[in-house]
Amino acid sequence: MRMFRSHARMIAVLVTMLAAALSLSAHVGSPDVYYEGDAGPYHLFVTVRVPQVIPGVAEIQIRCATKDVRAIQIVPMRLTGAGSHYPPTPDLARQSKEDPQFFTGSLWLMEWGPLKVRVWVDGAKGKGELSVPVPAAAQRTFKMERPLGGLLAFLMVFLAIGMIFIAGAAVREGNLGPGETPAPGRVRRARVVMALTAVVVVGILYLGRTWWSSEASNYQRRVNLFKPPSAETKLENGKRLVIWPKSQYPEWSNYVKMEEVIPDHGHLMHLFLIGAPGLDRMWHLHPERIAGGAFAEELPSMPAGQYQIFADIVDKDGFPWTLVGIVDMAQINGKPLAGDDSAWSGATVAAQTGDSAVSQLADGGRMVWRRSTDPLRANVPMNFKFSVDDKDGNPPKDMEPYMGMAGHAEFVSTDMSVFAHVHPAGSVSMAALELARTVPAGASGELQAGIPMAMPMSMSNAPLPPEVSFPYGFPHPGDYRIFVQIKRAGVVETGVFDARVQ
Amino acid sequence: MADTIPLGQPLQARLSERTSARVESVPWPIWCMIAGITSSLIGGHWDISWHMSIGRDTFWTPAHIMIQMNGVLVGIACAYMILTTTFGGDAASQSVSVKIWGFRGPLGAFIATWGCIAMLTSAPFDNWWHNAYGLDVKIVSPPHMLLSLGSFAIKVGAMALMAGLMSRAGEAARRKLTWLFIFVGADCVVQLGTILTDATWPVNLHTARCYLSVAIAIPPVLIGAAWGLGRRWACTLVAGTYSIILLAFEWILPLIPAQPKLGPVYQNITHLVPLHFPLLLIVPAVFLDLLWNKTEQWGRWRLAVVSGPVFVLSFLAVQWPFANFLMLPAARNWFFGMAYFAYFDPARFLYDPYKFQVVENTPGIFWKTMAAALVVSIMTARLGLAWGDWMRRMRR
Repeated sequence: MRMFRSHARMIAVLVTMLAAALSLSAHVGSPDVYYEGDAGPYHLFVTVRVPQVIPGVAEIQIRCATKDVRAIQIVPMRLTGAGSHYPPTPDLARQSKEDPQFFTGSLWLMEWGPLKVRVWVDGAKGKGELSVPVPAAAQRTFKMERPLGGLLAFLMVFLAIGMIFIAGAAVREGNLGPGETPAPGRVRRARVVMALTAVVVVGILYLGRTWWSSEASNYQRRVNLFKPPSAETKLENGKRLVIWPKSQYPEWSNYVKMEEVIPDHGHLMHLFLIGAPGLDRMWHLHPERIAGGAFAEELPSMPAGQYQIFADIVDKDGFPWTLVGIVDMAQINGKPLAGDDSAWSGATVAAQTGDSAVSQLADGGRMVWRRSTDPLRANVPMNFKFSVDDKDGNPPKDMEPYMGMAGHAEFVSTDMSVFAHVHPAGSVSMAALELARTVPAGASGELQAGIPMAMPMSMSNAPLPPEVSFPYGFPHPGDYRIFVQIKRAGVVETGVFDARVQ
Repeated sequence: MADTIPLGQPLQARLSERTSARVESVPWPIWCMIAGITSSLIGGHWDISWHMSIGRDTFWTPAHIMIQMNGVLVGIACAYMILTTTFGGDAASQSVSVKIWGFRGPLGAFIATWGCIAMLTSAPFDNWWHNAYGLDVKIVSPPHMLLSLGSFAIKVGAMALMAGLMSRAGEAARRKLTWLFIFVGADCVVQLGTILTDATWPVNLHTARCYLSVAIAIPPVLIGAAWGLGRRWACTLVAGTYSIILLAFEWILPLIPAQPKLGPVYQNITHLVPLHFPLLLIVPAVFLDLLWNKTEQWGRWRLAVVSGPVFVLSFLAVQWPFANFLMLPAARNWFFGMAYFAYFDPARFLYDPYKFQVVENTPGIFWKTMAAALVVSIMTARLGLAWGDWMRRMRR
């Protein structure tokens, strides 16, 4: 029975949460968090199963790369600001007896919005620490199961009838002397009272139902508030795409202001235009912010067709949102790709037959998915490893960071219900990760930006190895297409793989 | 009908009707019920403090077990009373029982049993509520209110049971039952006051909504328990016991070390955090007793028309200026408890915890709400008098 003491305080908390958060993760239909990084000298793969309802219990799974970890403690905190100062008493993760490198734990996530799970590691090499951003938002509300509904309905009827009969007995016999029997007039009066009690009971049940419906409606509204906003678009001059978010709830735009979104690995927005329904074309673009709470991009040349829109942004407090929409476009005669913008086109999903492990690259080289022959399964944390060969079949020596990282991967279900923009560090937003790695200066709440706590990011421009990996897990069975993007000698290459998940 | 029952007379009159059902000592089922009610009282406040200080809980926290013991102990006591009366063949017991669905027993035992079943029903309902809408976030939710209703019914049943016993009790037993009755009545006031926690939080004590809420919830239980007891200074005794109970919680709970086990944490917590200083209900209670001492022969509606406004106005007269004091640094100590914050309380970051909230945006709304409090208090005072009269007449 955790309490909010006043409406004003409730509103204040809600405002803070929304102002701090308002966004689903930079994913659609993929709420769990996968993260790979270093806690001091220890390399960890952390999975956070975000609960279906908030407040709720998140399941934490941590796999250590080495055997020298003795104990792991985990604790949830707000990502930034007030609430990120004092951690609660941490939980000790349970070490598996069969697999000592595997730890599990449960954490109560009590608030909606941008949280982080802080992980403390103790082992033979000393202590280490890392923080994993967790966008906390309920996914749904549950219907009552029929057996439980039946039981509660029976008890409700029992209690209602019981109250009526108790009221009758009270009037009929309650104030009779010992051994006296009720007179007929008293019996009649008892019946009248029973009838009146029945009316009161019905009234109470009606009010209770109204209250319940109101609570359920408010919760559902909150769930919907955290769902991806729609991507509204218009095409100016036949080639300039203007995009802005629109939520069915006006309060959404009060808290998530486009003027306040923060850069995520160098760009305010990562826009993905994917050919629908075959996923046979993909553009990864970076619109600039314009006046009026919108973003705009001069489009490259594109064939006419229907395109699915996924547009990632991160609000000022590190909560990632994905704008979702569909746009029908005529033939675009646009500008050549420039900067970090990239594109791919190829075979449709329907033309593929099940899984694929090799993808030809535009420069004549190829990308290979280093996967086992076992079937892919949903909700299993995996490290998706890809290697690159040049056109001569040799490992290239000209791999470069693409927007500061070894690679980018987009996991998209063929029905477009799942979209996840993943990096070598995992499914977390890079901007949120930066915020998670900063430490508060003190009670005043100001943050000291950029103070690394545990895990340096691979942001350098040094030559990279010809392999890239992405920690992730498919959220549910189905057919998926994976776009893997790397950069070689200044050119972005995209490998495309299809996956059937059981 | 009930309007002419003089103060104190019914109990005396009933003493002449003693039969073989005469009560010479407090029966063990009553002690069992009192133990359950006390357990629930302590467990309930411990649980609230637990959620403010530690946060995380399970079905099996000590506080929850104490709350659940209420249902167990009261269930055992009531089952014993009903089953032995129904099947025991004791004519004396049956002569002071009521009959429901073929079972015989004291009316209070049936009411308390109803409360136990309501508490039992709330458990799966609350569990589903957590799954559907998240873990506990507030006191006032439908399953919690069902639990609270069950707990309240147990107290009502216990008071009805004790009222019936007092009608045929010897002097020693009646004296003990009187104090037990006062304690349970005070617990009723504590329970209703706890439900009003939001409206009566210190920063809300200058809102008209606060006084409207108090006028709705408190008179039925405070006046009802006191009037049902039918003795001088009963209202003062009930309100005084209410104050002692809450002060004990406020002063004792912080002595117990505690740390938050949930995040985010906004306050550095090192001990259990209590609720705030009790409402100054003792003052309107004294005024009501003074009033009732001079109005024994009044009709009930006439009494309610005076008692309700006396309650609201005397409460307003002391609580309003006392709220000013609570906002001062002088109140931020263990005695007045104004320096305690829950771990999840974003005070200091988002709002000033020592600044009164404004709920009524215009003077018109404020005064209309205050006027509503006065009118409502008449109705709720009448309700309390009716409940009290009902207990005064209770014999079975």
